[in-house]
Amino acid sequence: MGEFLRFFLAAVLTLGGLAVLISGVFGVFRFRYALNRIHAAALNDTVGIALTLLGVIVAEGLSPIGIRLALVAVFLWATSPVASHLLGRLEITANDELSENMNVTDEKAVLREKEGK
Amino acid sequence: MARMRKDYETSWWPRLRRWIDAGASPLDDALEKALDETREGHQVLSQEEAAEREERAEARQRLDRAREARMYARFREWRQQKGRRWANMLYRLLAVTVCLAIIWVLLETAAYLPPFGHADNPAHNEVSRRYIEDGMTETGAVNIVAGMILDYRAFDTLGESNVLFIAACAVIILLRLPDARDGSGHTAALLEAEADDRMYEPKNDAILQATARLLTPFILMFGLYVMFYGHISPGGGFSGGAIMGAGLILYLNAFGFKKAERFFTYTTFRVISVAALSFYAGSKAYSFFTGANGLHSFITPGTPGRIFSAGLIPYLNIAVGFVVCCTMYAFYTLFRKGDL
Repeated sequence: MGEFLRFFLAAVLTLGGLAVLISGVFGVFRFRYALNRIHAAALNDTVGIALTLLGVIVAEGLSPIGIRLALVAVFLWATSPVASHLLGRLEITANDELSENMNVTDEKAVLREKEGK
Repeated sequence: MARMRKDYETSWWPRLRRWIDAGASPLDDALEKALDETREGHQVLSQEEAAEREERAEARQRLDRAREARMYARFREWRQQKGRRWANMLYRLLAVTVCLAIIWVLLETAAYLPPFGHADNPAHNEVSRRYIEDGMTETGAVNIVAGMILDYRAFDTLGESNVLFIAACAVIILLRLPDARDGSGHTAALLEAEADDRMYEPKNDAILQATARLLTPFILMFGLYVMFYGHISPGGGFSGGAIMGAGLILYLNAFGFKKAERFFTYTTFRVISVAALSFYAGSKAYSFFTGANGLHSFITPGTPGRIFSAGLIPYLNIAVGFVVCCTMYAFYTLFRKGDL
């Protein structure tokens, strides 16, 4: 019974992760703008990978391999948001027609207004 | 323009040409005869005659030029209209033919491949049986792959590391800026290259720096682990070196060239690469020499599974790993700013 429960849990987690990954892949190809694509890819990088790895960890148990998989998840969670952040920052720096794709608010002006006078 | 050697005239090629030219060609004879004839019937032309001849010659030249221009125009037109269509059609035809031919050859080859995993396959001969059965006792490496590539086939791996080194040398020859060579560092061209490189690059990103500060030591440590335990667990010099190189590149991206140059410069690259390759070649030469002549060698397999075991394999792994790491980092920096 315990063995079956564990398998069931692992299967549910892995399949859920796969569903998130698939939707993320569709999003990456569906969206037309870089920042929107980052938003879709971030799903893959965080929730999808976490669920998939969690499923494998549950199936594997607290063995050395399970611990290593947890480390892999920690590593990916630490790095992929940074990569997305850098991509976004590069887009902001390199794109001259930013206002065509989104609402651009001058943050400094807003802050000045809030603090102002 | 090629420079001519001083003794070019006496070397074999001009002498051969002179020897061949010494036999007069019938064409030359005819030319000489024609010249002689005109000389015999030489006469002073009157001015009108000369002018008339000149005019005739000019008219002929104009006619020729016009004909040539027409021909070229026709050719150009053909090339731009009909010829382009022809070329496009030929190109498509050839592309499809070549693709189909390659597909056919590959499929034909695949059809003749032995079935996967079959016990009678030609790959399952005495060589692989020996590797699997006696590899651990003979080399002392638990990881059979490490035993194969760094003991049985160490010569091959030496070649691979040298290929990496030669590739790095070629990239240095092609991409290193001339000013970088005198070692003075920040000349105008270098600074310009760096500014050009980082124009769109997010500079000194705080998030990236925090992450890199946290992760780089672990990445380097993991790379070293993969390298040191290459003879015990999966891994080895190539993968460990690649991980370390990636860690160094992350550090460089986060903190810029100035900080990375504190510990990794052109000299570092040179010293590490050459020292690692020399160590590899020297130690393996000793091992080959003693092995081939049946001499006693102080390199022994040791106890399999220990970190200090498997003879030369861990040290060779480290050498290969450092070469790979340096090569990766050197490629990256050379492509980005033309110096290490």
